[in-house]
Amino acid sequence: MSWIENRFEEGLIVTSLDWAINWGRRSSIWPMTFGLACCAIEMMAVGASRFDLDRFGAGAFRATPRQADLMIVAGTVTFKMASRVKRLYNQMPEPKYVIAMGACTIGGGPYFKHGYHVVKGVDLVVPVDIYVPGCPPRPEALIEGIMRLQDKIRNTTIARDRWSAAKDEALGAAPVAV
Amino acid sequence: MCVSGVCKMSSGQDLVVGLLLFTVAGIGMSLGALILGSFVRTKLPHPEKNSPYECGEPTIGTSWVQFDLRFYVVALVFLIFDIEVALFYPWAVVYAESGVAALWDMLFFFGVIVVGYLYLWRFGYLDWVRATGFYDARPARDKARDALGRAARQWS
Repeated sequence: MSWIENRFEEGLIVTSLDWAINWGRRSSIWPMTFGLACCAIEMMAVGASRFDLDRFGAGAFRATPRQADLMIVAGTVTFKMASRVKRLYNQMPEPKYVIAMGACTIGGGPYFKHGYHVVKGVDLVVPVDIYVPGCPPRPEALIEGIMRLQDKIRNTTIARDRWSAAKDEALGAAPVAV
Repeated sequence: MCVSGVCKMSSGQDLVVGLLLFTVAGIGMSLGALILGSFVRTKLPHPEKNSPYECGEPTIGTSWVQFDLRFYVVALVFLIFDIEVALFYPWAVVYAESGVAALWDMLFFFGVIVVGYLYLWRFGYLDWVRATGFYDARPARDKARDALGRAARQWS
């Protein structure tokens, strides 16, 4: 959590800052190069010229988690890979988001019953923000997922949340309105 | 200099003031961005995040290790011959219409690099294991006698 987060009550300055920060964050979601299986082919198509993910500012696939904001888990997550997925997620700087792309990452998919080696959903390993169903999903579906992620980022705020404000009130601290 | 209350700077002063302003503004702007960013950005370091990136594999040791200097020569030689091969391709494409002159040109170019290669070969840069020194395992008395003999020959 940053210094400014959860510090000031909602006001003109805070909401303007919110608008600026969220605009910056949602317009430059850099995904990590992270193709695990066949869904990665569709992810590559999204990045290529026909579907052109760069229109959404999310086309700069980074080769290291240090520069990435978004982890598109594109493909079957095996148990062997799960620990790596977790480590890579941990190595990403905040704010970070995860898109579970395809049936396998959402819940095991075709490997649900007999796939002894497949994690039954990547949300058992890392927190997932957006689920994109399909086997594999069309590139349009992944773009839709990224747009929903942009919606999610648009709705975040740095203002003091209601729970913290109520706690302050109970403790007798004066709220700071900006 | 000031003439009747109106101060004008000489071109030298002008340059210095401009340079100073430029330096101060440059430092100020980059510092400002860093300071402003430190209030807004999220910073949650932990050991795993700070660990070296190895494609998700657990790392063995640190990345601050001394790298074998012998790789330097290998990399250099590889680079030279890699470029040489790359230069062969356009030459081969136009060879048919260029005739004998192109052959001699390329033989000269190749010859220069081959001289370098022979140098490497002669002076042992292609040997991975090289002796860096000579260890004299003889008794101290024999070594001292040899050293005395060398000195005597030098000064006689």
